[in-house]
Order: sequence, then structure tokens, then C-alpha cells
Amino acid sequence: MSEIENKTEHGSMDGATAGTAGDPKNDTGLGLGVIFFIVAFLICFLSGWLLFPKLLYSKHEQPFNFDHVLHVEETGDCESCHYLREDGTFSGIPKTESCLDCHTDEPMGDTKDEAIFAGDYVAKEQEVPWYVYARQPDCVFFSHAAHINAAGMDCKSCHGPIDETRTSRPYEENKLTGYSRDIWGKNIWGIKKNSWDRMKMNDCAVCHEKETGHKGYCFQCHK
Amino acid sequence: MIHDKKAHKYGMVIDLDKCTGCGTCAVSCMSENNVPFKEDESDKKDSITWMRVYRLTNNKPFPDTEVAFLPRPCQHCGGKGDHGHSPCVSVCPATATDYGYDTGIVSQIYTRCFGCRYCMAACPYHARYFNWWDPVWPEGMEKYLSPNVSPRMRGVVEKCSFCYHRYQLAREKAYASGSDEIPEADYQTACTTACPAGAIVFGDLNNPSHKVHQIVKPDPHPDPLNPDVVGKSRNPKVFRLLERLGTNPKVYYMSEREWVRKLGDHYLDGEWDKVKNVYGSASHE
Amino acid sequence: MKVDRRSFLGLGIGAVAGIAISPVGAKLTDDFSIWTQNWPWTPVPPDGEVSYDRTVCHLCPGACGISVRKIDGRPVKIEGLDPYPVNNGGVCLHGIAGLQYLYDPSRVKSPMKKVNNRFVPISWDEALTMVADRLGELRNDQKPDTLACITGSDQGSVPGLFKHFMAAFGSPNYLTMPDLESWLVRTAKTLHGDAYTLGFDIDHSDFILSFGAGLIDGWGSPVACIQTMGNRRQRQATLVQIEPRLSNTAASANQWIPINPGTEADLAMGMCAVLLKENLFDPVFAQGFKGGFMRFTAMVQKEYPLDKVAGVTGISAADIQKTAVAFAKAKMPVALPGKGRGEGAQNLKEFAAVHTLNCLSGNVNKQGGTFVKPLPKYLNFPDPVQDAVALKGAAAAPLAGSVQELVTRIDKSGESPVKALLVYNANPCFALNDPSRIRAAFEKIPFKVCVTSFMDETAMVSDVILPVSTFLERMEDVPSKAGLAATVVGLSKPMIKPVFNTRSPGDVVIGMARALGGDMAKNFAWDSYDACLEQVTARIWGPLVRKGHVVLSENLPAGSVETDFEFLAQNPETVKPAGDLEFTLIPIDYFRVPPTVPAPSPFAIKTVSDRILKGTDMFVEINPQSAKNLKDGGFATLTTPAGSVPVRVHFNDGIMPGVIGMVKGLGHTLDNKYVSGKGVNINALISPKIEPDSGMDAAFGIKAGISKA
Repeated sequence: MSEIENKTEHGSMDGATAGTAGDPKNDTGLGLGVIFFIVAFLICFLSGWLLFPKLLYSKHEQPFNFDHVLHVEETGDCESCHYLREDGTFSGIPKTESCLDCHTDEPMGDTKDEAIFAGDYVAKEQEVPWYVYARQPDCVFFSHAAHINAAGMDCKSCHGPIDETRTSRPYEENKLTGYSRDIWGKNIWGIKKNSWDRMKMNDCAVCHEKETGHKGYCFQCHK
Repeated sequence: MIHDKKAHKYGMVIDLDKCTGCGTCAVSCMSENNVPFKEDESDKKDSITWMRVYRLTNNKPFPDTEVAFLPRPCQHCGGKGDHGHSPCVSVCPATATDYGYDTGIVSQIYTRCFGCRYCMAACPYHARYFNWWDPVWPEGMEKYLSPNVSPRMRGVVEKCSFCYHRYQLAREKAYASGSDEIPEADYQTACTTACPAGAIVFGDLNNPSHKVHQIVKPDPHPDPLNPDVVGKSRNPKVFRLLERLGTNPKVYYMSEREWVRKLGDHYLDGEWDKVKNVYGSASHE
Repeated sequence: MKVDRRSFLGLGIGAVAGIAISPVGAKLTDDFSIWTQNWPWTPVPPDGEVSYDRTVCHLCPGACGISVRKIDGRPVKIEGLDPYPVNNGGVCLHGIAGLQYLYDPSRVKSPMKKVNNRFVPISWDEALTMVADRLGELRNDQKPDTLACITGSDQGSVPGLFKHFMAAFGSPNYLTMPDLESWLVRTAKTLHGDAYTLGFDIDHSDFILSFGAGLIDGWGSPVACIQTMGNRRQRQATLVQIEPRLSNTAASANQWIPINPGTEADLAMGMCAVLLKENLFDPVFAQGFKGGFMRFTAMVQKEYPLDKVAGVTGISAADIQKTAVAFAKAKMPVALPGKGRGEGAQNLKEFAAVHTLNCLSGNVNKQGGTFVKPLPKYLNFPDPVQDAVALKGAAAAPLAGSVQELVTRIDKSGESPVKALLVYNANPCFALNDPSRIRAAFEKIPFKVCVTSFMDETAMVSDVILPVSTFLERMEDVPSKAGLAATVVGLSKPMIKPVFNTRSPGDVVIGMARALGGDMAKNFAWDSYDACLEQVTARIWGPLVRKGHVVLSENLPAGSVETDFEFLAQNPETVKPAGDLEFTLIPIDYFRVPPTVPAPSPFAIKTVSDRILKGTDMFVEINPQSAKNLKDGGFATLTTPAGSVPVRVHFNDGIMPGVIGMVKGLGHTLDNKYVSGKGVNINALISPKIEPDSGMDAAFGIKAGISKA
């Protein structure tokens, strides 16, 4: 239907009030258009903000709950479990074998999580398939030694107050990139309130520039 | 950290009189750096070998024929005047390759590269390779891949990194031991440590205690005849490939044989006799 | 109210606006670009703790110590072990590529039996029972000597177990493939008597006279030799390389002397004549000369005068004279036999003649010279308990002295005299001359068992395949062979659990014996191969485990050894290339292609030059002076008395006119697309020619014709 036909038809239907074309108060089409606009806008806007993140990320529960507070109380600090090896590489999440320094296949406490650990992993000599919130992509080389030893940073600057968590929050994985949501940040715009809220390349660069006066060369953090 | 310390300038010198052409450097490199392989690797234009061994001959008829071998990694050019404007770095529209002023090493970041291949066109040494295909390992063989080097994907360029991951690991080790220095032995490339003939020497050209510095004796001053050329060797047996271009490679070659040294560049008739006296001669000692 | 166009416009614009000021666009753009950078199908190698573990490489006789880098126990890289007395941190491309063999597409993943010409997987129990049943029949028929066994080498405890098996079973027909060590043992036996082998202290020698020994092309213990050559100039040691082609060794030598192919023995005899004539031999060492020395002296003077030798070898009389004198006058000269890698078809006359130069120089059992050393005796197997059947069988005359002779025996008999065959760590159907003849003979053997890691050419013609773990998956003693001055026994240890359903070859032998039961089982009463190894190496087991290796030097003779000249004094005939065509085809031992077992790795093939292999085309080298109408890079047909193949031509000024060179070790037909179907197996173009005195195939080359295709 052409534009002219449209107008003609419109006029013929409501002849009494037919005014000049473009009279706004008579243009219910525009009014409808506005309503449609608003409805569509709201739907898309809201789904963009609320539904999209839900669709983009898949949630995974950790194999069982890990109480960092309890473990920090028992061991004293982060380094007891997450330490630098002799060659300067970072040990990351402890292997089941390291847990056996304290644990046995008999639970020490009475939580069901410890029972899962003892029964499913210690007894079967299996590694716990933890989801790692801070996992960077394969192309990234990150040296804990450089940041802890040379720059004297604390764990919290990048990892947040994880030592104060009693429960393991679900791990959220970006379905497209396969990365942890922590890299981009909880905020879907990636807005950062704390230093640990986002760990994209630019966040590294900003800090490096501030602390060392230089963003660093590509190979400093890439492999 | 980058600016408050004396910069390294990692480089290599390869003794072509010791090189046997066995190919161990090439395989050590492939194994270290997760370089893949295809069913047919005989088309050398698309065969990815960060370290490639070329065969040189003096082109004389039997029985005066002589043969030598020249292993060619990325030359890690410093560019004109050694200011870091390597041929490849200057043309990359994506900053997927940059010059590390702290090490003198030219990087290649696969995730940033979008495969325009300008760098390959710009490289005078054919040291860069394009991934026309995704790497595929036979079933199970991906289990030997090393986590220190990212496997590449199709559509990106790759090249020798002077085993930069070994530098990263050596730095971590130094940090862990509270030191700021990386001992010569702690950072050696995979080809260097593998070479059964001991033909490759690697180290910091800026560090007079390193073997590579002692062999090369790099001239701190620009070449008076060609100010683009910096770090020319004061050892008369040592030369660089296409040195007169002013690319300032950090890979040096060494040979007693004049015909081998002469193959390091293209010379017009009679030109060699003029330049050879200046290049690496006593006048520069 | 009517839904009109404007409503739709409103809808559309509203949707776009809504999305636009939501994070969807920005986030998806970012995520999509990240997705393209790290496509999920690109492997991400898992990270973990780094550890290093030491072991010994078995891929060639070199026996280098290697260090395996692991990430959380997963091997990711092989490097040279430093210190290690053989290779001191050095390594070669094949050793580094060792990890590829673990996951090689042609690996045999479980025991197999052939049914209707196809292999089907079976259990170990079924396989061992089947083998025991078939072998048991031979013993029930009182014909244990109809079992033959071929192994790659006869040194170390695993070949020792096979020998023990054959002895207990009652068969004298145990044969090995012709590797350098076997030639050296044969030479030592001819000149010095039983139970000796030869070692060369090239490291300290100041004058190396090499009769084609590819010192940087894979001869001997390749890494040790390359290291020695690497610092040769510093030591100011001279290398004179005599061979028809400018090999890499020749290219690095002080002097390359091109020689007519196959006349090396004549040259060595001629040089002996010069030394004897000019009285340039060592009088002290000559006190040990006996058995025909005078006759030998007279014979060489008469039969190998300078002019005649010059004519035969194509080397000027002056050069021969000069080189011989330089050799004799050097302080620590050493003459090296064994063309190329020194394995395969060589000839005893040449080995003996070259070693005679060493004996005449007197630089024997001295630093920088040749060592006539006792065969390593660190293994103590209990004497086999032989029942009546075994005793009778073992006393029978052996069918042959070499695999080629055995094949000839089978070839010439209507019914195969061999009823069952065991093959371990050998691939005769690829590695020996005229492999189709060998295959045909094997087809006549009713029952063949192949103990192997790979579905290679020999495994393919067998009836049962018993798959063994690769050297990275098992424990074993590895004695260094191949001409090193001292013997180093290394202990290789498993670096990783077997990737497939394979067993250690020692356990396979023990398993076969157990399945046979009776006296056979009693002879193999060990719980496992590892227990057997500990027992038979008891003498050195402690230090072997503690240090990872033991240097056997206690028995190294310091003084004179007796030398017997009988063999050479009768002037045995030199085996010449067969045929009457215009050219001589010779094999090129190319470092980047391993000699026999296993086949090349994908990495090794990747390094092969495109002037050797292009696609599946094989190049041959020819001197442009004798190329006639052939074009560089062009196609041609290469013909020998044994066959004809299409090839491409590579002009090389560094090969003698009239000689055609072809790289050895290509043209595999196994099930591995990275390695197989590439090029031509040169062995298929050469017919074996048995040297009467050694019983060995001595056809190093063959006459050939080449014409434009």
C-alpha cells in the first residue's frame, strides 16, 4: 500500500473530522505508533538489561560448598593453600593431595559438603572439578610472582574479599566466549566499583600505567 | 619496572661452521611452541616452521662444491637506528605485533591478529607464517601440548618469539627468589638448548658478561657509512642477514668461510670487496 | 484503531532504541570478537606443576639420556639430559619428537589377530594363548628349531629374554638386523676373535679418516658424534671424508675425497699397502700380529698397488699416498668404517680393511684411537633349562646367518623351513633390500608373531600382533652401542602410564613362555619383566637405579690385542654394485629421516627438504654434468635391475657424476597419513647380494639408468 492510498483510506473512514494531513491531534496512527514504540522500547530495553544477562550466562553450582572463612581461620592466610611454587609459578587451587595435609577420607566436621569431598574425591582419589571464577583466557600469561613478590600487592586487589565468603557463589560462564563472568564483571555494563570488579585487558593496562608508568608490551601478559 | 632498569637486548649468534643441518633446532622449536603439522608439509610456503634451516651452496661445480646450513628464526629486528620500528611492527594495523623495548623481542599476539598479512609482506626474512587452516592434531596427540604457549587458530600470523614464555618463567623464578636479575642460563631458547652441535648461543647483547655479547662484540655506535645500522659486530667472522637494510636484526651469524658470509646479502659485482673491509673489519675494533 | 505502518515503525524503532540503550549491542560485539579469537575448538593445554624426569631414549643405538618435562605428570617436552656420559645435554630431532610416537596414528592399541586378511582386536589372554598353542605344536612335533626370531639388536635384557626364550624353546635360529654394532662385532670377531666389539675415541683423535661414516649424518651415537664434530675445529683435529657424495659430514670436513661407489674396501687395502711398504706401521702393536700377517703384506703389495687402486677408486695415486701417510703420521689417528649410518647393507671386507688401518697405526686401546673392547657383560641370565626337545632343537644347525640368507632359504624351498616367526623391534619388510622378496618369503611362513608398537610393514604381514609400550612407557636397560669408546648402560623408566592396552616387551616374552607352560614357564619364573631386569642386572642394579646409568669401563683393555689377518690375506672379493647400467644408485642417509624402527615422526617428515620430497614425489640427486637431457626439478624414470620408479630430478653439484643419490627411509606404507605414501623406499630398487664370507647382504648400491619421463 502506497503512502497516498494510505492517507486516502484514512480520510474516507473518518470524514467528519478529516483535517489536513499531518494534523497531530487527529493522527491516531502516530499515537498508536508511540504506544508501539513505548511498548517495544520497554520490552527490548528491559530484556536487554534483565533477560539478556540471564541468557548470555549459564550458571554452574560448584561441586560442593567451600567455606573460605573457616579455612582461613584454620590455616591463617591465603598462602597456606594458594602459594607460589619454588620456581615462581602459582599453585592455584590446591589439588586433593594438598588437602590431605589436614583432611582424611573421614570428614572432620559434620557438613554435607565435607562429606561429599571426603566420599567423592578423597576416597576416590579424584580432583575436585572446581569452576574458577578468575580464570583468564589461554592467551593470557599472568604472573602471580610479579604481582605478589615484586609489586607487593595483596590477593584482595584482584580477587576481592574471597577470604570472607562462607558460601561458594554459582559460577557464571559466558556462553559465547566461555569465560567467567568475573572477567567482565557482575554489572552487565561492566561498571566497576571495586578494583576487583572487572579484569579485562584494559584494567590491567590502567593499573600498569599508574603503577609502572607504562602499559607494558604485548608479550608481558600474552602468550 | 620497564623504565627503571637497564633494558635487555636479547639476541643470538649462530655458528654456521658448527651447524650440521640436522634440523633438531626446528623440531625442538615445534615441540616447545605447539607448532602443528599437516598431512603434506612439502609445500614450504605454507609449512609453519618458526625456525627454518636453509641450505647454502657456493654454486661451484663438482668437486669444488661446498655446502653450509643456515638456521633462520625471527630476526627480532630493531628497525632503522635500532629504535624499535621493525619492518613488521611498523605495518601492523592491529598492534598485534609490537617491539618490547625492555627485551628487544618482537611479539606476536594471535588473539589480536586479524590476518591481513602485511607483516609477512614487510618481513625481509620470510620469518612469519600464516595459519591457513585450524591446527588439527591426530586423536590424543593434543595431550603433549604445552600450556606455556597458546595454540593458534586459523587466520592469524605466527612466528618465533625467542621462546618468550621461557623469559616469563625465568622472571617468575627470579621474583620468587627475590632477585631482579635473570641469570644467563635461566633464559635460553628451545633451539639453543637443543642444538647438539652447540652452534647456537643466546643471551643479552647488552650484557658484557653474556657469551653472545663476547662473540658479537656489538658496536655501540651507528655505522658511519650507514647510520641506520646499529650494533654491527666487531668480530670479522660475524655478519647479519641483509644488514645494509638497516633492519638491525638481533640474530647474528658466524662463519670462517667468506662465501658463506657473502651470502648474507646481495652484492653487486665488485661490491663485496669494497664493503667487506669495512663490515666487521679491523677498522672498527 | 488500526495497526498501521506507523505502528510497525514505532515498534521497530522502539525495539532498536530499547536494545541500543541496553548493554546487548556492546556486550555481544565484544563477546563475539572474543569468540573469534578463541574458537572453542582450539585446544587449551591444561596448566599445572612443572616437573622433570630423566630416562634414556631407545629410538636409535645412540642411547642418549633425556629429560622429560611434565605438567602435572603429563609429558610435554623432551630435552637432552645434562650431564649424561653419552650426550651431555645434547639431543636430536627424533628424540625430541619422541612424544609424537606415544600418540602416533599407527600405534597398535591392543593385541590383534588376522582374520580374513583383516586385523581384529583380541584380549591379551586370547593372543598369548593363541601364540602358545601354535608354538606348542612345533614342540609337540619335535621341531622347535623351525621357530625363528628376528630382533633389532641383540644387546640388552629384552633381546636377552628373546634369546633365552629361543634357547629354552630349542631353536638356534635367532637373528638380528644388520646395525652398525653388529658389523663392528663381526669385524672384531674376524680380526681379534670372539666376544669383542669396536669403539672409537673420536673425541680425542686428531686425525679422523672416515670411509663414508656419516659422523654428522647419523652414524654411531648421533648426538655424541655431532658434539664431537662441533668442537673438532677447536681441537684442530682433521677430518678426511671419503665418499661419492658431498654429505653434510663431507661438507664439514677438512677434505672431501670423492670415491667411486663401492670401492672403499679397495682404497683401504691400498692404504694398508702404502703403510706396509713405507714401514709406517707401529712395531709395538705389530707384535700382536699373527695369522697371515706376512701373507697379507705380500698380498696387498701385489694386488693393491697405488696405480691400480687409483684406477679402481677414481682417486689420484698422489692423494691416496698423501692421505695414507698423513693418517699414519698423525698422533692419534682413527679410521672409521660404515658408510652413512653404518647399518644395513655394508660389507665385512671394507670394515675389516678399514679397521686394519687402525691396527697398523697402532693407535689401539689408547686415547684418541680405536678400542677393541669386550662385549658388555652386565647381564646374567640363568642358564636355560632345556628339556629333551629343546636340547635336540638347539643343537640343530642354524638355518642362516642373516635375515637375507634366511629369506633366501625360504624363497628356495617349496615349503618354508621356518614354521613360525617372532619379530621384535625390527621391520625387515621395509628396512632390508628388496622388501617385496622378504614379504613374499614371510607369507610362506605359516605363523608370524610381531611384537611391535606400530602397525608397520612387517606387522601388516603377521598373523598376531602383540603391542608393546613405547620407550616412554616402560622400564628397560639401554646399553649404548654403535662405536662409542666406553659402553654406557642407561635405565629407561616409564614417563607415563601406557596410553593404550600395551605391555612391556619383556612381559610379552614372559607371558608367551608362561602360556606355553611346562619347562618354558619354569625358565621364565619372574613375576614381571621389572623383577627379571633387577635380577639379571644384579651386578649393576644398585648404581643403575641410583644414578640412572652405569659406565662399563672396568674391562677396557689397555694393552695389546692379537690381530688375525687370515680373512684379508686371502683377498676376499669386493662386492660390486649389480647390473651393467650407466649410473650407480646409492642410498643417502639423511639425518632427518630415521633409519628403520620406528618410522619417521610427523615432525621429522615436516623438516624434510622440498628437494627430497614434494607432495608424494621423490627426488633423486644427480650431478648436472651427467644429467644429459634431464631438467632440474623435472620428472624422470629411475630403473634398476630390481625395478623402476617415477622420480623427480634434483641437480646437485656435490655428487659425483655418474652417481644417483636417493634418500633412504621414505616410502612407508603404514597407516599414518603424515608419514606414509611419501616418496619411494630405495630398498625396493636394490636386490640383495650376499657377501660369501659374512653371509650378509652387501649391496649398498646398484647400477641404475635414468631417463626423462
